[in-house]
Amino acid sequence: MGILIVDDSKDSRELLGRLLKNAGYRDVIGEASADDAFATLGLSTDGDLEEHGGRFDLILMDVIMPGIDGIEACRRIRGDTHLQDIPIVMVTALDEEGTLQLAFAAGAVDYVTKPINKTELLARVSSVLQLKYERDRRKSREKELLEALGQLRHANEILRRLSAIDGLTGLANRRNFDEFIEREWRRAVRDKKPISIIMMDIDHFKAYNDHYGHQGGDDCLKKVASVIAETVKRPADLASRYGGEEFVVVLPETEIKGAAELAERLRMEVEAMGNPHEHSSASKVVTISVGVASLIPERGMAHSELVELADKALYAAKRDGRNRVQVA
Amino acid sequence: MAEGNGEKLVIKVDPDLAGLIPGFIQGRHDDIRELKIAVEKGDMDTARILGHNMKGSGGGYGFNGITEIGGALEKAAKDGNKEEIVRLIGELSGYLGRIEIVY
Repeated sequence: MGILIVDDSKDSRELLGRLLKNAGYRDVIGEASADDAFATLGLSTDGDLEEHGGRFDLILMDVIMPGIDGIEACRRIRGDTHLQDIPIVMVTALDEEGTLQLAFAAGAVDYVTKPINKTELLARVSSVLQLKYERDRRKSREKELLEALGQLRHANEILRRLSAIDGLTGLANRRNFDEFIEREWRRAVRDKKPISIIMMDIDHFKAYNDHYGHQGGDDCLKKVASVIAETVKRPADLASRYGGEEFVVVLPETEIKGAAELAERLRMEVEAMGNPHEHSSASKVVTISVGVASLIPERGMAHSELVELADKALYAAKRDGRNRVQVA
Repeated sequence: MAEGNGEKLVIKVDPDLAGLIPGFIQGRHDDIRELKIAVEKGDMDTARILGHNMKGSGGGYGFNGITEIGGALEKAAKDGNKEEIVRLIGELSGYLGRIEIVY
């Protein structure tokens, strides 16, 4: 609770200092000129604020001083980013009222008149300090709130990402797929561009699960998902877990040829993984059946039509012996 | 008004300030000396500042008379009125001689 008195009159400094100390303000410092006050406050220095201005909660500033007067001193202190929150109370004779206006314009918050009246001085000092503490408290609360808001935003971002991701495989989840295809479908309609999807299903996954257990099944899903994630590299595409052992890739602005090539690559990569599957009619290793479909959608068409086409192609691939790609 | 002339002037001072009073009174005797030198030199600036500071501090210590004399000194110095300053020095000296301080 520091108070800085700036007054060229020794008698005035001593009087103010004594009255304030007697009223319980322990840290009261007097300076005889604006320049000395600037040095004590660390004005325009990059020093640690706590060592300088940070210790002061109030400045009592004489108006008429040789050299830099109280008004100019007030203006300079208020213009310093580190010091601008320290309230300045001007100390002035009543017949200096004209200068009072200048003082307020320079940023003073209040004034006490000379000769000093103890009651008036202590009342003003107390109310200005009260205001300063309230404002400091509010500022620190605002800071805390801002920090909390930042944490909340961060948490929301994590939540948003988590809610879009399939917890087991790390691929996009079904909801994310629904939103993505809806958006890309509309864009394809608008731009009259093709959009393709690849539907995949792990061959004989139920048998795999029964034989290797649920943990084994989960591991298999993770491995296949990781092959899909590594193979689907274009940032514009979205690979997601469609449900159970089914995966789907959406390829905006992609014609059937490109989609079929990627589908075949996916099939090959999964097979090349060489993950044993003793209960598959298709192979000795884990394989996928793949259905591919592509459309240049027109207004009035639903994206479910594209999904249905790919689904039918996937069914055909299974029917024809699995571990193969069928183009719709 | 000459020193020691007239009745005693009882000044009631805030006991909180008791420790400062001797220094304050001594300061005014110093002012008288400086004022006399300033008048001799025609240094109105010093006279004005001394008057201004007396005006500002006197009443705060309980000495309204010093505030009044200080204000008059400040004005006389601004006006360059040496005779008035000399008269006010005498008045201040008389005032200091008459006061009796009680707490």
